[in-house]
Amino acid sequence: MKSISTQFHRRLMIRFSKLARNVAIALAIAIALFPFFWVVLASFKNHHDLMKVPPVLLFRPTLENYQVVTQEGFLHFFNNSAIVTLGSVALSIALGVPAAFGLSRIPFRANRFVMLLVLSVRFMPYIVFALPLFLIMANLGLVGTRGGVLFVYIIINLPIIIWIMRAFFDDVPRELDEAAYLDGASRARVFFQVVLPCALPGVSTITILSLIFAWNEYLFALILSGRDAQTLTVGLTRFLGGMETSVRWGTLSAWAVAIVAPVVLMSLFVNKHLRRGFTSDIG
Amino acid sequence: MIKHKRTTIPILLFIGPAVLVLTIVALFPIMYALFCSFWNWHLHRSTLREFIAFTNYINLFRDVRFLKSLGLTFLFTFLTVGGTIVFGFLLALLVWKPFRGKNLALALMTIPMIMTPVVSALIWKVFLFEANVGLINWLLSLFGIRGPAWIATSPWAFVSIVIVNIWFMTPFVLLIIEAALSGLPKETLEAAAIDGAGYWKRIHYIVLPMLKGTILFILIFRITIDYRTFDIIYTLTGGGPAFDTQLLSLWVYNVALRTFQIGYANAGATVMMVAVGLICFAILVVATRERRERWLSK
Repeated sequence: MKSISTQFHRRLMIRFSKLARNVAIALAIAIALFPFFWVVLASFKNHHDLMKVPPVLLFRPTLENYQVVTQEGFLHFFNNSAIVTLGSVALSIALGVPAAFGLSRIPFRANRFVMLLVLSVRFMPYIVFALPLFLIMANLGLVGTRGGVLFVYIIINLPIIIWIMRAFFDDVPRELDEAAYLDGASRARVFFQVVLPCALPGVSTITILSLIFAWNEYLFALILSGRDAQTLTVGLTRFLGGMETSVRWGTLSAWAVAIVAPVVLMSLFVNKHLRRGFTSDIG
Repeated sequence: MIKHKRTTIPILLFIGPAVLVLTIVALFPIMYALFCSFWNWHLHRSTLREFIAFTNYINLFRDVRFLKSLGLTFLFTFLTVGGTIVFGFLLALLVWKPFRGKNLALALMTIPMIMTPVVSALIWKVFLFEANVGLINWLLSLFGIRGPAWIATSPWAFVSIVIVNIWFMTPFVLLIIEAALSGLPKETLEAAAIDGAGYWKRIHYIVLPMLKGTILFILIFRITIDYRTFDIIYTLTGGGPAFDTQLLSLWVYNVALRTFQIGYANAGATVMMVAVGLICFAILVVATRERRERWLSK
């Protein structure tokens, strides 16, 4: 009799802890998602609904806030962001993937020095780069040009690409290259036709990661983009400066959604790749 | 292993371009920052430029505002690194066992880290921390508490930036620890469970020791990244009220681009860089040699 009751008790406990766990997970997801959810909701509210206390969940949705996308220079900022992001990611991949291959496959003395350089750039406070870059670029007339900002974004992308791709290349068995070398293949051929194809998941991972980092960047853009090359993030805060009144909350929300939605959607679609990027360099 | 006779040319071709670009875009600016830091250098008055050796550095350590920034930065980093590691670890334990929809759950939990920091900070500021119509104060009012003006008063402004940064960075710790947990040998854990070790005992004596390397990695990452936080604070508080949230990155930015003392700002930036370098160095020294080796040359 007693054993039956303890068994029942234990089962109850398991069920309860499972329930508690699910509730905790749901709560964590809710907290993680809430700001995004709320700004999407707010972007469809009219001025009146936005100011209601307590806040309303049910309201008549309006698209009027999204008119901002066609005005206030939004497209100009969007173009700048897109060009700077895509350009710097492409450039960083072109530079970083071969370098990662070299670091993984060619033994040389300064190898560690290069890795240390890569690592220090990755962990350096970015403001340390930003000031001197501002002075140098001002002298060269590069402040306020997309090319200048694009080039500076390499600081963010290149170290991550080299670091992560090196881990991916290290995972490709060396026997493959050796077989190819025995067949008389050149280094370039081994890189392009043997090792790189095996490390393609790594390439998509770093592409996604660096696209996100470059798109989200703020500090360099704030200091270096001058008047003509301002990105979406800078545009948003500039736009906010003059008109941080409740009247503009709706417009602000629409703008915020337009910046964040591409990144969030992309991250959901390729989440496994993304997670691998964040976790691949544990070692 | 096949020995290649010539490695110089392949090294130049494969690694050379990346190193060259990093030198131009990163190393050279650091040298330039060091150079600037020894000058009395006003951004818009080039006639007043003079070499003053270490005067900037001496002034820094008499500058109450700079010392306050340094202290605030250490406190902020300590709180957010600690907070994200605790929450990230607990969340990772929560999702450790496989369950239906685990991938989706992880994907959704990753979103704070993916969202543009400036936008997140703005949402928190406008919709959550707002004193009168903000959601947090509305929630508090349900319990009869009159919430503070979060962004505008001390110490709540500092609390706000800590909260937002923990929210922003917890997913990073979660993902890394989750990956590390799923790589742990199941047999050991099962054996311990059969031997009657309770849940928290297993965590304490088996899981935590196995995660030491991972935690070292997380520490370096989290410290360096929180230490340089700029976007979130700049958007949320702008360093106010009364410089109570002006961390080092904001101090450097404000001194350089509001008071235009470029030389002085660069001296501050140099101190900032050296300080974090020393902290990382100390952590790596404390860590065992074997871990350090694995870290630098996998």
